Amino acid sequence: MEEDIDGDLADIETLNYDDLDSVSKLQKSQRYIDIMQKVEDALEKGSHISNQGMVLEDDPEYQLIVDCNGLSVDIENEIVIIHNFIRDKYRLKFPELESLVHHPIDYARVVKKIGNEMDLTLVDLEGLLPSAIIMVVSVTASTTSGKPLPEDVLQKTVDACDRALALDTAKKKVLEFVESRMGYIAPNLSTIVGSAVAAKLMGTAGGLSALAKMPACNVQLLGAKKKTLAGFSTATSQFRVGYIEQTEIFQTTPPALRSRACRLLASKATLAARIDSTRGDPLGNAGKTLKEEIHKKIEKWQEPPPAKQPKPLPVPDSEPKKKRGGRRLRKMKERYAITDMRKLANRMQFGVPEESSLGDGLGEGYGMLGQAGSGKLRVSIGQSKLAAKVAKKFKEKNYGSSGATSGLTSSLAFTPVQGIELTNPQAHAHQLGSGTQSTYFSETGTFSKIKRT
Amino acid sequence: MIGTKLACRDRKGTSRKGKSYFIKSVMHGECNGCSLQMDEVLASVAEKIKNFAVIYVVDITEVPEFNTMYELYDPSTVMFFFRNKHIMIDLGTGNNNKINWALKDKQEFIDIVKTVYRGARKGRGLVIAPKDYSTKYRY
Repeated sequence: MEEDIDGDLADIETLNYDDLDSVSKLQKSQRYIDIMQKVEDALEKGSHISNQGMVLEDDPEYQLIVDCNGLSVDIENEIVIIHNFIRDKYRLKFPELESLVHHPIDYARVVKKIGNEMDLTLVDLEGLLPSAIIMVVSVTASTTSGKPLPEDVLQKTVDACDRALALDTAKKKVLEFVESRMGYIAPNLSTIVGSAVAAKLMGTAGGLSALAKMPACNVQLLGAKKKTLAGFSTATSQFRVGYIEQTEIFQTTPPALRSRACRLLASKATLAARIDSTRGDPLGNAGKTLKEEIHKKIEKWQEPPPAKQPKPLPVPDSEPKKKRGGRRLRKMKERYAITDMRKLANRMQFGVPEESSLGDGLGEGYGMLGQAGSGKLRVSIGQSKLAAKVAKKFKEKNYGSSGATSGLTSSLAFTPVQGIELTNPQAHAHQLGSGTQSTYFSETGTFSKIKRT
Repeated sequence: MIGTKLACRDRKGTSRKGKSYFIKSVMHGECNGCSLQMDEVLASVAEKIKNFAVIYVVDITEVPEFNTMYELYDPSTVMFFFRNKHIMIDLGTGNNNKINWALKDKQEFIDIVKTVYRGARKGRGLVIAPKDYSTKYRY
């Protein structure tokens, strides 16, 4: 067995593509022939369940099933190798086909049907592929860059296709056999997912113990199709579902709950597989309880949510307001805080009458502002934060002064003729030396040459 | 009606635990629109404010003991009590003791109750209603 696998790998490395036999050795191997023979016999015989007393490992049927699992994995690998072989040969004829038809067996069938035909309208692909894909294939074939194959290459390709198909039927037979015995091998697992799916899972995993060792997330993905055809909508393609999709429980759950159901099924199936691998419950009771659990959970998910009760109002003032703190709030409060000037104006000295805006006690009082007794020599307005922010905004909205103006220029200009007028800062720059403004102190003024007169 | 009436006769004069309660008085036999409207508002509000207020409906023809004391002769009257103390509300109408007319808006009524509760808990005997009803007759 081991040499077969190594032999195959070695052959891939030598890349001897002309001879199919050097690439695909499985069908000629003794092991394969033996197991297939046994499977055929067993299928004819039908199941006999009189092996209750015997320990599982001694049972020849169990051994056969274990072998079958290994074989099905090998067959799968073999099919992939042959698919590569066919693909490489057929690339000369129809290179785009491999990207349109992904499944190896479908590819083999299509290749066999098309043969060396250049005109695909003469070829009937009905039944081999979905009609949409047939259409795409026909269209691509009409514009393909391939050339017809030479006769011997074509023959080899067709042989390889035949072999792939033969392997496929063999694998189906093996699976059928395993499925029929599934209730005996893994009763718990078959109770939950059904014997067909259980057989497939076991086959893909490579045995019951291999399946048991997998984490549940992997079990969920066993048998998942990888690519959807480009150009077709991916909205309907189910995400991350494998053979579990074919179980009865999954099919009967409403579409909205399907992804949750898939995860649940995978996890319980893994548990059942673990029980079965150690032969902990030969009667399948654990499987039944697990299945009940699954059903109950799915029921619960479908329950409507509890009705919304109208809430009575809370007692007023019982819940204190949520006060915020922190740097941001402090900065915000600073902008509206009482300034020093206002603080001074609010206070009064004892015994000293305050000045007021209208004089004589009328109008707004100035308090300690500007009085001799106050500690400050002079009170400036100080940069109010609010004013700063407003000033910044105002400056940004400024009337687009060119780069020549400095920050100290004012838009107001004092002219002797009209008094105060607003000037355009751009115009300002051009008016150097005009009678209205002295260029001596001008901020925008450049160096000027004073001619000697 | 009887149940509430009996409960009321008990409560009037006994101290309450801490919830405010208010009493609506109905004139028996006078099922006019004014009274019914007020009843409806009260009924719909009762569940919401149950954490801080209880409503009692009193038929003044069956319980006439308090008619002179509180001057109950309008079709519908709502008065507020907190821990057995009558709370006055400044509604702008001139009569601070009670609400004589039918309030239409549920939220308005809830606001009044909340204001009464807050003020009464602080110990005030008179609270100011959030809305002014001096122009409710809209000439």
